[in-house]
Amino acid sequence: MTKPTRIGNRIRELRELNGNMSQAALAEAIGVTRQTVIAMEQGRYSPSLESAFRIARVFGTGVEDVFSWQEHPDS
Amino acid sequence: MPFREKTAWGMSLVLILAGAWYFQKVITQSAALGYTSPPDLRFFIGYVITVVVASITVAVTLSMLSGREADAPADEREKVILDKAGHWSGYILAVGVVAGLWHFGWTGDGNLLFHIAFGALMLSQIAEYLLQIALYRRGV
Repeated sequence: MTKPTRIGNRIRELRELNGNMSQAALAEAIGVTRQTVIAMEQGRYSPSLESAFRIARVFGTGVEDVFSWQEHPDS
Repeated sequence: MPFREKTAWGMSLVLILAGAWYFQKVITQSAALGYTSPPDLRFFIGYVITVVVASITVAVTLSMLSGREADAPADEREKVILDKAGHWSGYILAVGVVAGLWHFGWTGDGNLLFHIAFGALMLSQIAEYLLQIALYRRGV
């Protein structure tokens, strides 16, 4: 059983839109492990504010275009 | 599976086996003596050396199998996992030591105090690794 976070994200979608960027490449770009990127995409980990900004910068977009608050994390 | 999760599996296995070995010996000796066996320093030193050697063997083997990942420092999620696991396992150690002292206060059995305190130390270490595994899998 995983613990869902309240913060949803579009990381997987944005990776695919950015030339199918790999999880490993994104992980290296923001300074975390590939497993942490996987955990973010699966909603098992909410990144720090610094990493959230790094991710947004990698995709050339704003933080709120990547992350959103979810009232119901399972939905 | 992340390198540190593999290490946690390996170390928890080493410590569970070592703990079972230690307490099997204490229980057997105590049954033969008719009272709680006193700490056996020679066995204790041998036990510690065995655990250290087994831990190093596990760490080196997993490092060789994991390659570059083994050299990487813990990232932000792993730091949270390590912190939380260490925090909660600290409570287990504290409860064990207080239970040992409480028992000593009532019975005056210093041998039992030693074994309870050492058992609490082992249990808290095992719990720390098991909590790391749970947090890696469940999320933080």
